[in-house]
Amino acid sequence: MSDEELAKDLGPLAALTIGVGTMIGAGIFVLPGDAIIKAGSMASVAFVLGGVIAMFTALSASELGTAMPKSGGAYYYVNHALGPLFGSVAGWANWLGLAFASAFYMVGFGRYIARIFGLSGTVGVGPVSMSAVKLVALAGAALFVFINYVGAKETGRLQNAIVVLLVAILAVFTLLGTLRAAPENLPEARSVVTTLETTGLIFVSYLGFVQITSVAEEIQDPGKNLPRAVIGSVVLVTVIYALVLVIMSAAVPQGFIAGLYENLAPGETAPIAVVEVGQYLQGAAMGGALLFGGLLATASSANASILASSRINFAMGRDRIVTPALNEIHPRFGTPYRAIGITGGLILLFIVVGDLTLLSGAASGLHLIIYGLLNGALLVMRYVNPKEYAPDFTVPLFPLLPILGGLLSFALLAFVATDALFLSFGIAGAAILWYVLYARTRTEKQGILSEHVLSRSEELPDAAVSAAAGVQPDGGQYRVMVPLANPEHEKDLITLASALAKQRGGTVVATHIVTVPDQTALAGAAERADEIDETSEQLLDRAREDAETFGVDVETHTIISHKSFEAIFDAARTHTANLVVMGWGPDAHGSPGRAESAMDELTEAVPCDFLVLRDRGFDPSRILLPTAGGPDSDLSASVAQMLQAEYDSEVTVLNVTDDGREEAEAFLEEWTADHGLADAEIRVEEGDVESAIAAAAEDATLLLVGATEEGLLRRLVSGSVVMDLVDDVDCSVLMAEKHRKRGLLERLF
Amino acid sequence: MADLLERVVVPVASEDDAETSARALARQSYGEAVFVHVVEKAGGAPDKAGVEQRELEAEEMFEAARAVLGDVETDIYYGTDVVETIFDAAEDVDASAVVVVPRGGNRLVQMVTGDVALRLVTRNDRPVVVLPADEDGEDSEDVT
Repeated sequence: MSDEELAKDLGPLAALTIGVGTMIGAGIFVLPGDAIIKAGSMASVAFVLGGVIAMFTALSASELGTAMPKSGGAYYYVNHALGPLFGSVAGWANWLGLAFASAFYMVGFGRYIARIFGLSGTVGVGPVSMSAVKLVALAGAALFVFINYVGAKETGRLQNAIVVLLVAILAVFTLLGTLRAAPENLPEARSVVTTLETTGLIFVSYLGFVQITSVAEEIQDPGKNLPRAVIGSVVLVTVIYALVLVIMSAAVPQGFIAGLYENLAPGETAPIAVVEVGQYLQGAAMGGALLFGGLLATASSANASILASSRINFAMGRDRIVTPALNEIHPRFGTPYRAIGITGGLILLFIVVGDLTLLSGAASGLHLIIYGLLNGALLVMRYVNPKEYAPDFTVPLFPLLPILGGLLSFALLAFVATDALFLSFGIAGAAILWYVLYARTRTEKQGILSEHVLSRSEELPDAAVSAAAGVQPDGGQYRVMVPLANPEHEKDLITLASALAKQRGGTVVATHIVTVPDQTALAGAAERADEIDETSEQLLDRAREDAETFGVDVETHTIISHKSFEAIFDAARTHTANLVVMGWGPDAHGSPGRAESAMDELTEAVPCDFLVLRDRGFDPSRILLPTAGGPDSDLSASVAQMLQAEYDSEVTVLNVTDDGREEAEAFLEEWTADHGLADAEIRVEEGDVESAIAAAAEDATLLLVGATEEGLLRRLVSGSVVMDLVDDVDCSVLMAEKHRKRGLLERLF
Repeated sequence: MADLLERVVVPVASEDDAETSARALARQSYGEAVFVHVVEKAGGAPDKAGVEQRELEAEEMFEAARAVLGDVETDIYYGTDVVETIFDAAEDVDASAVVVVPRGGNRLVQMVTGDVALRLVTRNDRPVVVLPADEDGEDSEDVT
């Protein structure tokens, strides 16, 4: 057998039982009593409705699963298709949703233990008290977390046997029950709204199928077995739920279920409806079997959920949505013990603070959010249709079914209990904040959707492009954009940019900006695309080669625009540049004749750090850096530092002063020490600033000047001190303007 | 001794284990070494950790071994029984011996996880060499 076959050893039955085992514990053994009391004879309908809504999503999950059989399942698909902003929401919702669900299953487990051993009442000291059920739930949760922490592989195999046994018990219960069923026993039907609310209540019974996708990478022949398991488990549990609910309403006298909950002493543990019905219909043996079954079912649901959540943690850590430190594997147990430990802590916390309906409501609400996003992910994958997307299973009636699936999932949210709904949206909101404040600078993965939008930036509306760019991850990576217009200066600009990018371990983004006269419509220019493409391609190919000699990553783009400066600003924002390195001269980016109109465009501050090269041959061997302090010379200093590291340049720092030589020298000593240029030569001149710099520049190969105030570029094109200086010297001049501030809102939108 | 260590398979279970084993091996004269990590499969049930996760982990172990020994051969194996899979690996690469370093741990932990080193020596079908783990190994060698 090949390694792949050995690694994928989950057969079709095992895959199916993950789904069925996770779902059935809640649906049959915890919720039917509440559902019948709420919806009467419509309880069965409420369950079927839940199954139908789940089925739409199950189809989408199957297609995505066969296309991408990866660890992490739903989170992975959403992150992959819709990008890490939604990925963060899906990941957190899935993780916490499973923790809420596990807490819910464990409270159910507690009820069974309490029923078996006749425990009731509360235990506590002083103001701190807790029901016996919750105490058992805590102990049970601790046990199952511990089992997963040390990793007993036997529990996985036990799961198959448990599920087969449960289905067998329920089959007998249903078959014998039909003999006693009579329509006149049915409680009265309730309204549609109540039925929908009941669906919202019991939807926690339909979370399991999506957990199958989280272990998709271990399933044999996933193209075939994954859809069978996902869809099969939904069909199977829906049928079982419907039948069991019909029996429970029709085979016992009216008011039987409601009667169970009447006359309960305060603190007394509520009876379990399915067990009471079984006992009533088929005697103590069936009662006992269902009691035992419920114990196994709730336990296996929790166990499977804890396991699935650790896969989601892994996938989130791999994409740096959370810290990868969470993925550390225990050296001896071979388990992701940190992830399981944290999930375990959350489960215990949720058991302590939440009641049964809040736990199930939060689990449902969070999963409905994921289901909605999952259908969205499918729509994006199909619409963009990337080359590598080749699902073995495809959703029929596309796009109707995934659209319905998404809409119905979001619509059902309206029927989830209010407090649980707030909690779910609160968590989703917190996940967005988490992305903005934590994950955005760390994750490197970009969604198929934003890749698609950005790659077609010329055709799509600006708002869509900047929205996609705004939430793009920057991966904490340093991006140096080089707008190229004049092929003559391509090599020097790319060389400079690559040297800087290399020092920061960053990427060079070479952008060919094609300016067309205002009279030419951009669409018209796009028709000449072939012609433009050819020039562009040649230019960008050379840029790529030049940058690759430095071993830095290169991206290339072509932008068609009327206004070249504006286009540079826009492109810097779109491609989330940290630094722009551009050329400037009589023939670069806008002629002097257009200076006035260009000036209007530039009344705003630069969108990131800018370096403007007046190119007279790039030679960084002797750098002159005049400074009087200030943020723009900070940028000049770090550029000088990087060039020094790359080219071993001689750096001379110059201060022109009338206030005394010693003071100026002391200032420069301190300044160079602060800016990592301690070995730079220090030079102090007196007199006219401009001529002093020009004189000093005679020995230099590169003059590095910072703007003394905001708006260097503006002053550049209008003609001012800096520009005169640029013309006065013979060497190349590199002008630096530092980006002043960048608000959070601007980064986001 | 040189013949026995001519081509050894070194099973590793964690990054620390890989480093300790590599150091222990470095103190011996040996021919070639193949570092192997066995991804333990549940055999028809979900595993305790994802396969991809453990493959990434295995690469870290191999890195740790390379940091000590330079370029060594490495391979990932999959199996429900770690010990049997190690011997399968030894057979595949035609190893002269399997080299292990005891990983310690108390009885309780060994009971929960199954002590691989112990089972390796009790169920072996080719030579198993147990090397001392401690850094003072060289000294004790000088004494004997």
